[in-house]
Amino acid sequence: MKLLHLISWQYTRKHGLRTVLTMVGIVLGVAVFVGMHTANQSVLVAFHKTVNRIAGATELQITAGEPGFAEEILEKVQSIPEVRVAVPVIEASINPKLKTPGNILVLAVDMTGDSSLRDYDLDDGGEAVIDDPLIFLAQPDSLMVTREFAKANGLAINSKVSMETMQGPKTFTVRGIMKSGGLTSAFGGNLAVMDVYAAQKVFGRGRRFDRIDLALQEGIGVDVGRKKLEQILGPGFQVETPAARGKQFESLSSVYGMMANLTSLFALFIGMFIIYNSFAIAVTQRRKEIGILRALGATQGQIQTLFLIESAILGLFGSVAGVALGVLIARGMARGLGDFLGEIYGVAQRADELSTDTRLLAFSLALGVLTSLIAAWIPARSAARVDPVQALQKGRYQQLTTGENRVRAVAAVVFAALAIGLAMVGGGPFFFYGGYLSAVVAALMVTPWAAVWLSWMLRPLLRLIRPVEGALAVDSLIQSPRRTSGTVAALMLSLALVISLGGLTRASYDSLNQWMSVGLNPDLFLSPSQSISDRSYHFPAEIVDQVKAIDGVRTAQGVRTVRVNYRNEPIMIVTADVAAISGEAKLPATAGLHEDMYPKAAAGEGVILSDNLANLQKLKLGEMMELESPNGPLRLPIVGIVLDYSDQKGTVLIDRKVYMEKWKDDTYNVIRIYLKPGADVVTVRQALLERFSSGLKVFVFTNKDIRDYVVKITDQWFGLTYIQLAVAVLVAVLGIVNTLTVSITDRRRELGVLQAVGALRNQIRQTVWLEAIAIGLVGLALGLGLGAIALYYSLEFTARDFAGMRLEYKYPWAMAAFLLPVILGSALLAAIGPAESAVRGSLVEALEYE
Amino acid sequence: MIELTGVQKHFEGKKRVTALAGVNLKIEKGEMVALVGPSGSGKSTLLNLIGGLDRPTAGDIRLDGQLLSGLNDDDLTRVRRDKIGFIFQFFNLLPTLSCIENVALPLHLRNWPSTKIRERALELLGLVNLNHRLDHLPEELSGGERQRVAIARALSVYPPVLLADEPTGNLDSATGAEILKLMRDVNERLGATVLVVTHDRGVADSCSRQISLRDGLVIEDLRRENVRK
Amino acid sequence: MNRVLLVVSSAACLFGMDLRGADARQIVEESQKRQQSQSQRYEGVLEVTQATGKKSSKRWTYERNGAFGESKSLLRFVAPAEVKGVALLIVNHPDRASDQWMWTPELARDRRIALQDRSTRFFGTDFSFEDLEERDLNQNDYTLLGEEAMEGKPCWKIESKPKQTKSSQYAKVVTWIRQDIYVAVKMEMYAKNELVRRLEYRKIEKMQNIWTPLELEMADLKKKSKTILKTEKLEYNTTLKPDRFTLDALRRGE
Repeated sequence: MKLLHLISWQYTRKHGLRTVLTMVGIVLGVAVFVGMHTANQSVLVAFHKTVNRIAGATELQITAGEPGFAEEILEKVQSIPEVRVAVPVIEASINPKLKTPGNILVLAVDMTGDSSLRDYDLDDGGEAVIDDPLIFLAQPDSLMVTREFAKANGLAINSKVSMETMQGPKTFTVRGIMKSGGLTSAFGGNLAVMDVYAAQKVFGRGRRFDRIDLALQEGIGVDVGRKKLEQILGPGFQVETPAARGKQFESLSSVYGMMANLTSLFALFIGMFIIYNSFAIAVTQRRKEIGILRALGATQGQIQTLFLIESAILGLFGSVAGVALGVLIARGMARGLGDFLGEIYGVAQRADELSTDTRLLAFSLALGVLTSLIAAWIPARSAARVDPVQALQKGRYQQLTTGENRVRAVAAVVFAALAIGLAMVGGGPFFFYGGYLSAVVAALMVTPWAAVWLSWMLRPLLRLIRPVEGALAVDSLIQSPRRTSGTVAALMLSLALVISLGGLTRASYDSLNQWMSVGLNPDLFLSPSQSISDRSYHFPAEIVDQVKAIDGVRTAQGVRTVRVNYRNEPIMIVTADVAAISGEAKLPATAGLHEDMYPKAAAGEGVILSDNLANLQKLKLGEMMELESPNGPLRLPIVGIVLDYSDQKGTVLIDRKVYMEKWKDDTYNVIRIYLKPGADVVTVRQALLERFSSGLKVFVFTNKDIRDYVVKITDQWFGLTYIQLAVAVLVAVLGIVNTLTVSITDRRRELGVLQAVGALRNQIRQTVWLEAIAIGLVGLALGLGLGAIALYYSLEFTARDFAGMRLEYKYPWAMAAFLLPVILGSALLAAIGPAESAVRGSLVEALEYE
Repeated sequence: MIELTGVQKHFEGKKRVTALAGVNLKIEKGEMVALVGPSGSGKSTLLNLIGGLDRPTAGDIRLDGQLLSGLNDDDLTRVRRDKIGFIFQFFNLLPTLSCIENVALPLHLRNWPSTKIRERALELLGLVNLNHRLDHLPEELSGGERQRVAIARALSVYPPVLLADEPTGNLDSATGAEILKLMRDVNERLGATVLVVTHDRGVADSCSRQISLRDGLVIEDLRRENVRK
Repeated sequence: MNRVLLVVSSAACLFGMDLRGADARQIVEESQKRQQSQSQRYEGVLEVTQATGKKSSKRWTYERNGAFGESKSLLRFVAPAEVKGVALLIVNHPDRASDQWMWTPELARDRRIALQDRSTRFFGTDFSFEDLEERDLNQNDYTLLGEEAMEGKPCWKIESKPKQTKSSQYAKVVTWIRQDIYVAVKMEMYAKNELVRRLEYRKIEKMQNIWTPLELEMADLKKKSKTILKTEKLEYNTTLKPDRFTLDALRRGE
């Protein structure tokens, strides 16, 4: 410990800025990890809390996917002797446009019996929360809100609240205010309770419920009750505890969690290189000191321990700062994530408070320290191996030994061969990810050598620009591969990530555009809600004929999309009159023939899958697909597979007749409208709005609106990934600052000589800038190269494990071209500080410096 | 040529160290002066101040009539690169550059056209008898050869003043004598004013003037007519 | 024992034989027999007083048709305006719990009052849905606890416990039946061992030869609230069409 204080602390103090820069990699990595996971966790906890609070005494919940089920099921459930109480529920998330921003969760229940499950009256005074229960039931506009919500929006008993309904905006009356506690804290207090039968009308659900909440007779175990219910209801229904419902939500947000892991691991990985770099530099710089220590009797173990402890402390400080920063950024992330999940999956939740998990924080600390330790391992070992005699002699020590080079070269070749071999074998995830890893390791192994080689290539170019400054800048890189290669590797990795994401993004947009131009070709879309992906409201069946009757409309097709469970994944059923739909739009087939699949599907003799569903679920043309429904299983052969990007989890197209028979649901949530030739979009849009101005609530979207919406959603999705890029580039730039800071120390004498023989300050600055540019160029060259490989793997990953989408490989040249100035600019920016400190300081000392 | 009036130099640190306590000195054009004295007497400091590598705490230094203390860093550098050539004990060649590149360095910094640079560099290397080593790196040369390259570099623009800090300190005596001869050649043939800081009696004796310093003050200033050749 | 409260007359008015010291079941049976009517109709005023003292009142019309234990009754609110037209149809079965449906005209639909909900409060009053149904004699076991005078009138004090075949929210009910006119004057309902509700019959008058209490007070002892029901324009044995007591009729809002 004494040693640590004497040696390490002095050094650290002297190189304060560099220590901080080194730590930044860990700080960012840990911060992103903590931030994203805390956000994810908070959203999940908020959702669980909402589910639990709303559940009250509910022991089991019965659902049948998004379509819900007919009312009769309720009586069937209530008549089961094991069931003590069973109540119907409809849940919807709507925007009441009040002072409190965002959506509120509407919980619609049967008020006559619901109080045995949920306690609405939490005040011990015994005063009924609902002013008059009979009026509440008699008037369908009755609403009960939480006290907090009432307060925030200045509502009292008999206040009016306007909400969208299937009959257009409608005024509701607050007829009850819930006292604080339990239920009222669900959904952040933004909760309204109404009568379930009124809700059926308001949300256009027909005589259907979303869910049945139930409690069992005393002494009946949950498992027993569940088995009994499953046996009576059949496989079309899910009988689960409220907690298990949270699990489904988790599966929706799991993709995001994976993203969070990838991003933070990437940041940490890059951070690791920076730490490695710093320690490698420190070891060479402190070689003499180490030599003296060894000469004075320190053992190899002591030296190694010294450096490892140093790195652990560094890691610890960095992690602590990272955790703090992570918690800070989590709130914003949680909000964004909440909105995002709400928009994409239409799942109602709100994360208004952060839930920080001590275990997560502890894990993050450990992760940061561990990263730091791993990074310092090799430098610490080489410090321990310093030969005291050689160390005390003057001389050059920066160059890699040939032995080291050979080991690297062999390793690089082995890993490269492994990567190619595994890519050719293909198959299981082991081969795939193993191949990816091998490719990255090979690239890392080859980096020091490649960096030197590229620098040689650059030398004439830079000499041309600045004969002395340029040549010396490159020489500085060539002379110190150990100093440079860590940073170059970090830069290479982040650029590879940028390129692979850029390529992925571009391929996604290209595919989306292609799909939109084929599949999304109606002129107008009619939706019962403001958001096309919201499925809270439905249209009645007769609307299609009403739309068709409107002047200028050539034809209209009703589509119903519902999420159902298939092998525990929430996939999307798209149901429509297949014959009509295929007349207007045929999606590009990846398996099967159009002439074959659409007639068969239209005849109810088969289903058509989206390519991504087929990929994700490993389904093939001709196989039997079995979907559970409330009225028995639906078994149909897969007659075609088409490119359809409607849903991340995949879609299955089923003819409307088949769907109605199995799900007893004749509603629509989108109407696709084609206009007569020459008909004006604006005029027809107006006609539609007028036709439904009283009665139904409709929103009319033009083709462009929908396309913009799809692009917006995609933007949001990729927006998340851009955080990744920002972090990666930032960390890499910090690496450049770090390297340059060390470089100007190493080059102090050289720069002194230059000044002594007549270099002006600007000429000194230029050589530092040029060194940064050179690092940037080398990093770019390697990064853009590795990016080509990484892109291949990300496309494979997308197809294989993520969205199931096969995207075309197109190298993002535009992005590469864009990166060139960005990275060189950042490198220059990174060089400003070091360049200034290079021209400061005493020339005499510099000339004597060793 | 070089004129110092009341030059003091103190180094501020935990303890104030006086390197020069007040030096008055006048060196004429074409003189070859040896600065001698024990370690810490202030001779290297004096050389650095004259060369504009450092600034005095008090007093004035004039070079060719120009007052150095009034100049900013870059102007000081301009004076240095036009009027002064440096020769160091440890040569201070840039290890990654070849002989000719090292010699050409100051010319590049002056943005000379490259053909002219090459012409001059070849001329200089001829002067120090190293035409056969143009593309060698410093580490491939002997100590004497390295110092010759350094001298060639110092002469690149034929500066009126040549400053040498222990130029033979790192060389064996034979090579040292060779270097000394070269420097005297420069002094005589090119008419450059030469200032040499040295411990070496032999070097000191071969100079036309010998200035001794002790504790930051000039204690002896000898001129001799018969210089040992 | 029935818990017929709204079916005002049928409470427990028994006449006839002097059954002093007789079997409790016989007393109850006699009370029911004296109460018997083919049909019944009245207008009721319901006044709920909450623990805080807050009062609210509603009016309804009540019609009942058929023999005790298997009768059908229809209850329709007439005031205040917000609840006008809301109706409740009760179809009693001798061997099992009644069927109950509620009609809300604003929503234009009916809803079943599930069995599980029968113990909940009837629309904010101190009655529960279960209190509205007729309970056949055979669905309880009776014990004579003794005799006790209520307001100077000697009464039998009878305890009834539901049989397994038809469950109830109440573990037992104690009823005081006047020995002179076989009319119940007071009932106390227990959930487990705790007294939860108390019902008192007042203004007992002879209407069309049937002793009938014209006012009831139900007190919810846990909530400390009470509900007073006053009957007006009471008629027995009027002609009521049986098809008025169907789900279709309920839906038509007749």
